[in-house]
Amino acid sequence: MRTASAALAIVLIIFFGMPATAHHSAALQDFTKQVEMDGVVKSWHIMNPHGKLIIQVTDAKGSRAIELETHSRNNVYRAGYRDGMIKAGDKIKTYIAPNRDGSDGGYLVGFVTAAGVKVGLDAARR
Amino acid sequence: MLRGTRIFLFALAAVELAGLAIAQTPAAKTPDLTGVWTTYRAPAAQAGGRGGGGARGAQPELPLRPEARAKIQEYQKLVAGTGDTPGGYCLGTGMPGSMMGSGGYPMEIIQRPDQVTIIYEAHNEIRRVYFGGRIIPEGDRLSERNGYSTGRWEGNTLVVETTKLDEQVDQRYPHSDKARIVERYTLSEESGQKVLTAQMTMTDPAFYTAPVAETKKWSIVPNGFLMTYECNEPGWLHRLEELRTKSSQPTK
Repeated sequence: MRTASAALAIVLIIFFGMPATAHHSAALQDFTKQVEMDGVVKSWHIMNPHGKLIIQVTDAKGSRAIELETHSRNNVYRAGYRDGMIKAGDKIKTYIAPNRDGSDGGYLVGFVTAAGVKVGLDAARR
Repeated sequence: MLRGTRIFLFALAAVELAGLAIAQTPAAKTPDLTGVWTTYRAPAAQAGGRGGGGARGAQPELPLRPEARAKIQEYQKLVAGTGDTPGGYCLGTGMPGSMMGSGGYPMEIIQRPDQVTIIYEAHNEIRRVYFGGRIIPEGDRLSERNGYSTGRWEGNTLVVETTKLDEQVDQRYPHSDKARIVERYTLSEESGQKVLTAQMTMTDPAFYTAPVAETKKWSIVPNGFLMTYECNEPGWLHRLEELRTKSSQPTK
């Protein structure tokens, strides 16, 4: 897991939108930061009020499963996601608002699928 | 005689047509709010892609009474640091937050002469605004987070009054169960786009020392659609996981 560069962060904000969520409190994640994290999809549930992505991440800390919460099914769809874009076993690049307490995981605000499809989640929406 | 009959029938038809025209006049003159709407963004902001009129600026402090403020602070202290919100538990926002916040997710208005139905995509919140004979007596109404709404037309303005609300301290516009909300909806056109504006005034002597007033604007979404917002799936999946765990345990 590494911190996105300032330039990339700006691009992400433009592309993905600001990740504030009205029906999700920002108490647990720091939405002023965006972190890039690569992994392999273990499971993906697109649902309301929040989706859930679990990825296997291997980095300096070792290999482990990390759970990411994300926007609602409706907003993920409107951000460009379509059925079948994410499957177990796929490589995926994620952009997350990290947990404030420094633990693994965070809030998924955008991702690039194995096929290279970029999906950004407009956080101006709930 | 035949000529007289014809004249009579002609006159009768004319009277009936005139009557029909009068009966249809109110509906024909009523602005049609039907459609899918999203938070208004000024054209300049739209060109920039984001921000603009839909963004919320700094909110003025609400004129809360001390006892209301204490209730709200108690709630905020309870959920502080948990990330918990009503929406996170699939509970709709309730009025007036449902109306003021709509547009992030779109809303749909379906208009009939006797009822205006407003569907907020988020949490599938639905408000029904009743007119005339559709309005039930006050004693027959149950309180709920979106209250009970009645409507009337004042010229081209749709006036909606909402009462019978649950007390809510968990939204942006907290209020007691004595709150009364009046929305005044008007249609206009800006830079070729259809714009809907609502002026909202909430009076609640139990919670506020003065009325709370806000304005909300939406733009029409041509050929727009709402999605279903099923929200209980996580709870159901969790229950299934519990049952799987239980069934996998050896029986004694």
